[in-house]
Order: sequence, then structure tokens, then C-alpha cells
Amino acid sequence: MQLSLNEDQTQVLDFIDSLAKPFATVPMHDVSLALESAELDEALVENGFLDVMAVEELGPVTAALVVEKLARLPFAIEAAASAMVRPLIDPELPRPLCLVEEGKTRKPLRFLRPGATVVVVGPSGVKSFAATEEMIAPAQEDTLYGYPVAFLTSLPESMTAHDVDPAEITRAWRVGMAAEAAGLLGGALDSTVTYVCERKQFGRPLATFQGMRHRLAEDQVMTNSVYWIAMRAAGTGDAGDAAMALLHAQEAAKRVCYDYHQFLGGMGMTLEHPLHLWTYRLKLLTAELGGRGAQGLAAAEALWG
Amino acid sequence: MQFEWTEEQDAFRYKIRDFLHANLPDDWEKFSEHGPASPALTAFAREFCVKLADAGILFPHWPREMGGEGLGPWEQQILAEEMWIAGEPRGGQYMNVNWIGPTLEKYGTPEQKARYLEPITKGQSLWCQGFSEPDAGSDLAALRTRAELKDGNYVINGQKIWTSYAGLADTCFLLTRTSDDRKRGITIILVPMDTPGITVRQIPSLIGEGDIHEVFFDDVTVPESARFGDEGQAWEIVGYSLRNERLGIPRFRLARAALDRAVQMLKDAGEFDSEYVKIEAARCAALCEAAGTANYAVVQRRVDGLVIGAESSSARYATVMAERVVCEFVVEFVPEGLAGASPYLKMHHQRGIVAGVAAGSAEIQLNIIASEVLELPREPR
Repeated sequence: MQLSLNEDQTQVLDFIDSLAKPFATVPMHDVSLALESAELDEALVENGFLDVMAVEELGPVTAALVVEKLARLPFAIEAAASAMVRPLIDPELPRPLCLVEEGKTRKPLRFLRPGATVVVVGPSGVKSFAATEEMIAPAQEDTLYGYPVAFLTSLPESMTAHDVDPAEITRAWRVGMAAEAAGLLGGALDSTVTYVCERKQFGRPLATFQGMRHRLAEDQVMTNSVYWIAMRAAGTGDAGDAAMALLHAQEAAKRVCYDYHQFLGGMGMTLEHPLHLWTYRLKLLTAELGGRGAQGLAAAEALWG
Repeated sequence: MQFEWTEEQDAFRYKIRDFLHANLPDDWEKFSEHGPASPALTAFAREFCVKLADAGILFPHWPREMGGEGLGPWEQQILAEEMWIAGEPRGGQYMNVNWIGPTLEKYGTPEQKARYLEPITKGQSLWCQGFSEPDAGSDLAALRTRAELKDGNYVINGQKIWTSYAGLADTCFLLTRTSDDRKRGITIILVPMDTPGITVRQIPSLIGEGDIHEVFFDDVTVPESARFGDEGQAWEIVGYSLRNERLGIPRFRLARAALDRAVQMLKDAGEFDSEYVKIEAARCAALCEAAGTANYAVVQRRVDGLVIGAESSSARYATVMAERVVCEFVVEFVPEGLAGASPYLKMHHQRGIVAGVAAGSAEIQLNIIASEVLELPREPR
């Protein structure tokens, strides 16, 4: 048991901090529903941050730390699937990666665009294909989810089959989503805390009212424990840990997204405040992999058979 | 970061498990229902702790100069986990080795160390903690039990409440007021419980026999040498002690063990097929494991020699959440467990429901998190 960051991990995270600094805030007057940056994405790829899992001294926990760190940014980055799942399938698969459960292709797919690699995971195995224009329908333009999303309208006749265990891919997928949710929870909490410390009503900051302080403190407890169980799931590689991590993250997401928009009042309903970038990503992640019920059943199966 | 135990740590855990297996009586589970503060368990612990001392696992985490083996915080954690999930066969003596001993070592006079440490190391003493009062619970600094220095003696008058183990304890770690300066007017006095003028009355409780008392002090007179630390130093010393106490009980581990028992009972009854029950059980497990890992992150700070601050309150609150859902799960799906079908589940329930109240209420932990972790501006007073 050794829960502090090692020197390599500290270095990787410090490097990401300096590289992502220009992207730490939303550009002035930007009111995008989903914010992306090709420049940031390219810099992350060039510097190998999405490939740390394969580096022996770094491994899956460092990959989870990278995913968590990046998810704190207001910019959406396809990091979890690329950094934590792709190395297990084929490290050369072109990004972005869109993971989809077999038979459940009706849902909005994050980062789906021509050229993206769609990975279908299910009982019949793990298969992938490159998405083309004809198979994609755009989502409604003012879709609220803070990610770019689109729909798959058809599947190609043939896909590349990968010789990997779908259960293992699902496990890594859960860990990646839990790590991403941990970062989103952290980003949303920071954003909310800043607001309630500045906003004054009745002559004092909102943050001085106990009705809000206790709920925010409970949200911190959830955020902190999601971080730790996500890192643990990355470290142990255990199927039960992975299912519990995503279950706990999805539980936390449901709770805090409601709280934070309440705390921001009218401001939280506008696009002038960036809170929605974290909360609406979290909301979409609550639907990932079948949501809490599916994670709960998977965890129960792993723990108690 | 690395989330596996080392071989040595695993070996230490198995050494404790083997010891427990070999030394707990066959009917232990039923017996442990008596509760850690009951006369039956206190008497049992007096024999059991001697065996633990002989086997070198009563206080192996104490430094060598105190007679321990100098094992680290992880081993202390493992020891606490194994004892707690076994139903705490050390009874109230867990406090001795968790915080009373180390606090005596840090702040005690040579005479106090000589008098009190040896019985602790031999598994032969029982302490009680004279902190809470009828009007000073969460607001501990409001305490009013007075100690007045007269002719080289402290004369103590007042009342304590809750005071686990008071009925059978030999010594009280007593907080008294020596001046009106709120926090800086509090002084610790180590009071032998057989001193004339002390009256202990047990209060029947939900959490087991012998756990909650009223203790009255009427002109209780002890020599000035019974003072622990300086006058007015109590707040600092208690802060030091509670940091050990807050991490001291690995409740999340017992909650998880109780959950596993409840699931097994459901499976045996053929009632674990419901998807709803499975999902609820998984939610409980996730909260237990998330709390456990958050607690481990605090242990890591001890390992690294860092100050333990408000993050321990966050980990503790996570544990409170886990305890709550497991207690609720058992009552909802295995209600027979608390009515005779499982002494273990009843034992867990009686320890679990107190998680958010004992050693500093959950709401106080939330205040600490708000002010010190989130750094929110404080409420106006």
C-alpha cells in the first residue's frame, strides 16, 4: 500500500499542468455548449500523455491520474478511452475512440465524427471500425451535454475483430469513466466553490450559510472518495473494484449536479458560467455502460457471484 | 501509487487472524453481542489483552522506546481492522493502545508514565474519557466541570455524560475547567475512578450495555501531580489525541464484513436473486470501499510524516455514509438479523449507528471540511 504520488507521477501531472495552463479557463465571451481544442489535443498526443499506460514505470494508475487531471479542464478531451482502453486493444487505433456496447448503438456517442474509431464491445467480442460520414447523424445543434456527440445510424458490414476479452475491455472502460468522472467532479466542485465564495446575498457570501456549507462538504466527501476508489480500481485491475468505482462515480454525479446548479441559482442556468461543462458531461456519464443499475449488478456479480 | 499490501503486511494480517482464531472462544460471536463496554466483555478483555501482550500484538505500532516494535501506521491500521471486524475483543482497551498510551508518552510527567504505561502494556488497565457534558457535546469547549487548586490538590465538581466504560474503568482522562478562558481554560486531570466523590450511573442505551453513563464529581480531590500537561493545555493535547482517535476505528471494514454476512444470509434464503437487492448491496459495498480507500489516503499521510488535517474529517464522513447505508440495508432486507438470527449483524448495528455521533459528530466534520478543505468563509457568529 503506497498512496502518495511517486516522482514520475508528480512529473507527469506537473507537465500536464503547465501544458494545459492556457486551457484552464473558458475563453472570454465563449458560450459554447461543448468546448473542444484541437491544439490541446495535439499537444497531449505529441507529448505522449495518452500513452503512459504502456510505459512500465507509469502504468494504469498514472493513466487514470492523467485522465482525472484532464477532465478538470473546461475543454472536453477524449482521453479515457484512448489512454486506458486502447492500449489493451490496439495502441495504433486512430483517435478519437468511441466505445459502444453491442446492441446499444441508439445512444449519443461522445466524440463520434468521421475518422473516429468506433469500438463495439459485447458478448460476441470486441470489434472496431473507422466511422465514415454516411454512418453518422449529428445530434441536435443545441444538445446540452458538454461533449461533442453524434449518433451512429448504421454499422459497416465488416469490422475488425480484436482478440481480447470483452470483460477485460469493459473493466478498463469502467475504470476510465470513473477516473474521468472523478476529474469532472473535482472541476465542478472548484467552480461552484469559487462562485459561492464570491456571490453575496443578505450581505454575506453564500458560502457562509450552513445550509449550503454542509451540502458542499458532503459533495467534497463524495468527490474525494470517487477519486480514491477510481485510482484503486486502476491499480488493482479487479473487476469488482472497477464496477464499484463507476457505480460510486455515477451515484456522486447524480447528487452533485443537482446541488451545484441549485447553489448557482440563475447563474447556473446560463452559458456565461462554465459549470454546465462539467455537470452536463457528468450527466451523460451517468448513462455510460448502462448506468448505476448495470454497474451495481456487475459489482454484485464480481463480489458475491 | 500502489494499492496492494506487501507480503510482510499480509503476513502480519494473517498472524493476527491466526491468533484470533486460536484464542477466541467458539461462542465468541454470540458473546461479543454484549458490547465492548459490558462487564462480560471487559472481564474477557482483561484476560485476552494479556495474551495479546504476550504474543507481541497488543501495541506493536508503539515506538521501541515505549516497548513496542516500532511498526508503522499501516500495521497499526491492519491491527485495528482485524480487531474491529472480530468484534473488538480488546473491549475498551483499544483506546489505551490507540491514543492514551501515545498521549501519555508525549505529554506525561515521568511519574505519570511510570504509573500508567506499564498496566497498559500488560493489558491490565481500562480508561474512560471524561469529555462530554450535558451542555457540552459537540460544543466541547463549553464544558463546566471545575477543578480548583487548593493547598496542592485539585478539587473537582461537575458532571460528565456519555463516558463509555466509566462503570468499570480504573482511570478517567478528565477534561476540567480551570479558568473562564474558553478553550485555554481547560485542563486535563488523570483521576483514579475509585477516588471518593465520584458517582457513576449507567444510562440504558441502544448501543449496548455499559456504553453510556453519567458521572458526577462532588468535591473529588486529587493531588496537583494528577494534572496532565499544563493548565490550559487540554485543547492542544486533545487535538493530538483525537487525530489518532478519528482514524482509530476502521468502521468501514466492519460495515463491509456485515454486508457480506447479510448477503450470505439472503443467498442462503434464496432471496439474492432480486436485481434491486443486488444493486442496493453493491451501492453499500462501493461506499464501504470508497470510504476505506479515502481513509487509507489519510494513513498514507501518517506514513509520510505529514500533518493530518481536515482530510481525516472527509474520510471519516465517508465512513459515516457507508455505515448508514449498511445499517439500513440490513434492517430492510435481513431484519431477522437484529432479532436473534445473527449476533454479528446486531453487533455491527449497535456499533454502526453511533458512527456519526461518537468522537466528534458528523456535522462537526462537515463544518471542518467546509472551512478547512473547501476553505469557505466561516459563518458569522
